[in-house]
This record gives sequence, structure tokens and C-alpha cells, in this order.
Amino acid sequence: MTRGHATVVLFALFVGAVVLFGVELARGAMDAGALAVQDPCEPREEFPGEGLDATLQRIVLDGLDGAACELGTTREELVLSLAPASGVEIAWDDETIEEAVRAGLLEAISDAEERGSLNALVAVVLREVVERAPVQWLVDGGQGLAGLF
Amino acid sequence: MNEPRSAWRTVLLAAVATAVAVAFADSSIVVLALPELYGGFDTTIEGVAWVITSYNFVLAVCALALVFFVHRVRAHVLLAGGAFVFLGASIGGAMADSLEILVIARSVQGLGGALLLAGSLPVLGALAGSMARGVAVWTMAGTFGAAVGPAVGGILTQVFDWRAIFVAQAPVAGLALLATVGSHVAAILEEGWKPPLRRTLPGNVGLALVSGALVGALFLGVLLVIDVFGYSPIQGAAIVSTIPVAALLARPIATQLPVVLAVGSGAGLLAAGLVGLALLPSSALGYVLASLALCGVGLGLAVPGLTHSVLGGENGVASKATLTVGMRHIGLVLALAVVAPILSTDLTEAADVATLNATAVIIDGQIPATTKVPLAIDIRDALERVPEGEIPDLSAPFEEHGASSDASVARVRDDLVASIEEAVTRGFRRAFAFCALLAALALVPVLAFRRRLVV
Repeated sequence: MTRGHATVVLFALFVGAVVLFGVELARGAMDAGALAVQDPCEPREEFPGEGLDATLQRIVLDGLDGAACELGTTREELVLSLAPASGVEIAWDDETIEEAVRAGLLEAISDAEERGSLNALVAVVLREVVERAPVQWLVDGGQGLAGLF
Repeated sequence: MNEPRSAWRTVLLAAVATAVAVAFADSSIVVLALPELYGGFDTTIEGVAWVITSYNFVLAVCALALVFFVHRVRAHVLLAGGAFVFLGASIGGAMADSLEILVIARSVQGLGGALLLAGSLPVLGALAGSMARGVAVWTMAGTFGAAVGPAVGGILTQVFDWRAIFVAQAPVAGLALLATVGSHVAAILEEGWKPPLRRTLPGNVGLALVSGALVGALFLGVLLVIDVFGYSPIQGAAIVSTIPVAALLARPIATQLPVVLAVGSGAGLLAAGLVGLALLPSSALGYVLASLALCGVGLGLAVPGLTHSVLGGENGVASKATLTVGMRHIGLVLALAVVAPILSTDLTEAADVATLNATAVIIDGQIPATTKVPLAIDIRDALERVPEGEIPDLSAPFEEHGASSDASVARVRDDLVASIEEAVTRGFRRAFAFCALLAALALVPVLAFRRRLVV
């Protein structure tokens, strides 16, 4: 190898490094691994699908968003805070959380009814469940999610 | 008539060069054994880190202390003493039944390594026929040894267990010991002249900074590939072997370029490789391999030039070699001292981010609620069952809920794993960036004192 060849190879290596950075940045390096939870007070893409399961999930997710917005936290932190083992610190007592979750769910049911994705009879039943049932049923799901770490 | 004697000298040369490579490799050789040591000795992260730090710290301190009187001691005596201490400490390390004993054995190994490396260069010079050739062999052995350390340790740990790392080192030290006895080169080894070491300072500072930067490529790179991306130690060893392979491929380029250009470009490429690792957008292997290749080429360009510049000349090589060994390991220890708390803090934060992102993936996962909730509970249970220090296998709960037959469940699994990997990978970002900064800072002494780098 001559000095000229060595210089060309060296130049190519630096160009290769710049190309690598370019590809990494183009593939989202700056945002990769960053906190990716959305503001619960902002509208987000609706949970897709049809049928009762998808409708109920939409209501629960919208309800959680409403509750999280009310409490000034994120939906994910709210879910994790429902399980003490998650280690997520909460600034509210159980009563406050329960009130916020119930209010959020009731609002989500009304929205679903208005959109026509929930018929009036089912909406009435769901409102009764949300107003009277213990929030503990959510906790079971929350504990599962909270165990991720 | 001289051929048998020449062949014998080549064997002795190889034995001493291998011992030099192992002494340099020992800085990082136990990196891949750390999870096994962590679990086996039921200790803390800080405790197990001392297995690495103790060797490098003792070696650095002893080497710097030896600089002041190494020129008064016969080099083959130093080499023999170092090989003997290293041999004993390797056996002690293999037999250690507690972390405390292992750390003591590693500290003694550091002492042996300092003595061995201090005496090795004059012996290699004598065996190779000239000091210039001795320096070339010493530099190559040191560069290659430092770069292959994690790979060798990973293979030994996976095929056998962590004790094999120390068992394998004992015969290497034994052969170096025999080489000093059989070489008959003692007469030309005694050094009675103290070199002007101050002139080597810029090169040594450059080497210290490059060694510190290597903490990123070797230690952090290995941890990322195995503990985050989930490769086995042997697979991780193969991936990290990109560094020594690239360093070897860079040798012909380095020999053709002016020293300052080679060293400066090497530091720049090493920094570029570390920036590449800091910017990883995903766990795709191509980015890691390309970044490690840049690190390896940078290493292959920078280290030989810097080493030759600090070891130049026929006189006082033992003192010069001892100083450069001390400086390289000081750079490594200081970098570890800064990188460890940065990584620890950032990984704690990354775990919180990963928790929230993973929760979002599950909540938004497009699977029926009747699958979603039990799946989340099973993931929690799987995590609770994982022994401390082990990486959880999150694929099992997904398999139980039909990931192999249901594409939507498989997609949630892949998104969950990717979200956790990306968050934890981002946790390495500042540590990699710090190491890149060290590599870039190596340009300062290189450019400021460029005349001293030309041998």
C-alpha cells in the first residue's frame, strides 16, 4: 500500500463515519429510547377496532386519559401507581385516584355514546358499573403492568 | 548452524509477547464474567466492579512507582518476578471462594502485571535482535491483547466458567517465566541510564486518553451487546472481535502515513466510533459493528504511533515502557471512575423510562383486553421470578398467550422488547459520549506537541 492509497482509505473511513451518523440520525437516533408517553390532556389516536372489546378498551383508555389529565400525571404513571409494588410514587390518596378514574370513565362512556359507538342501553349499564363497582378491578390490570420493572 | 538457536529465540519471543498480551488483556478480560461473578458471590454491582478496578489500579500505581528505579534492575529479573507473581495470583484467582479473595488475587495480579510489563520490553528487544523490533512486538502484543480481552474472557466463561479465565492465564505466565530462564540475554538487559521521561509526556497523555476512551468500546460495548441486546458471551465476543480485527487491518495504513496524521486520525476515528455507539437508534447489529470497526481502526492507527513515540530510542526503554504502562492504566482507571457513576445514574433513569414506555406499549397494544390484562399479570410474575442479576426472558409469557400463532400478540411482544432495549441503550449514551470526548481530547497533546511524536 502506498501513502496515496492510505490517504484515500483514511478519507473513505471518515466519510463512512459521517454516513453512519447520517443513517443513525435518519433512523431516529435522537428520539430512540426517550420517554414516549403522550400528554393525556391532548387528543390522541383512537384505539382501533370494532366490537365490544375494542369499544370497552377505548372507553377505559379514554377514561384513564381523563383521570390522568385531571390529576396532572400520565396515563402510564396512573396505571402503575395503582400497584404499590411498582415503586411509582403517587401524590394522591386512594380516594382522589378513585374519584378521578370514575369521572374519567364516565366521561369516556358519554363520549362513546355521543359518537354512536355505544348504544344507550350498554352505556347505562356501564355507568352503573363505573359508579358502583370498586376501582380495584383496574388495580389487577395495573399490577400486571406495574411489574414490568 | 544458527537456525535452531534462532527458532528457539522465536519461541521465547512468542512466549514473552503472549504474556505481555495477557497482562494488557487482563484489564478487560473479566468483563463478560461479571454477571456470573455477581450471581455467584451474591454481591453488589460496586463490589463486583472491584474485580476489574483492583487489577488496573494496582497495576497503574505499581508501574508509576517502578518508573523511578526500574532502570537499576535487570529487566529479566523484573520479567521473571512479574511472571512468577502473576502465575501465583492467577492460580489464587482460579481458586478464590469469595469476592474478597478474588479481589486480592486480582490486586496481586496487577502487581505481577506491572513487573512483567516493566521488564518485558528490554527482553523482547534482546530476543528480537533490536530494540526497534522489540518495541514493534511489544506494541502489537499490547494493542491486540487489550482489544481481545473481553472476547477471550467471554468464550472461556461460556464454555467453562469464570475460573477458566484465571486457569488459562497461569500457563502463559509460566511460559514467560521459563523464557526468562532460558533466554541467556541477561547481559544486555541491565539499564544504567535514566531517560528524559518528560519528553514522552504528550505521547503518554495521549495514550492515557485513548485507553480511557477504550473503556467505552470494550467495557460498555460488551455490556450493551450481551446484557441489553441479549447475545451470548461467545456471540458478544465475536461482535467485539471487530475491534482487534479492524485494528490489525489498519496496520498497513498506519505504516504509510506520517505519525501525526496516523495518530490524529486514529483518535478522530475512535471518537467517531464511540459517537456512533452513543447514537444507536436500535439494537440492529449493523450500527454496532460499523461503530466498533471505526473504534478498531482508530485504535490501530493511534496506539502504535503513540507507543513508538514514547518508547523511541535504544536507551531507557524499561523506564519508558513502565511509564507508558502506568499512564495507560491510569487513563483506564480514571475513565472507569467517571463512567461507572454516569452509567449507573443513567441506567436508573432509563429503567424508569423503560417502565413507562413498556406500560404504554401494553396499554396501547392492539390485542383483546381478555389477552392484555392476563398477559400483563404474567409478565409481572415472570419478572418477580427472575433471580437477582439475571436478565428476564419476556418471550415466555407472550408464548403462553399465543405469540407464536397470533401476529398481534407477537407484534406487542416485539414492540415491548424494542421499547425496553431502546430506553436502556439510550442509558449508555452519555457514557459513550464521555469516552468519545476522551478520544477527541487525545488530539490536543497530539497536535500541540506534534514534533515530539515524530521518532
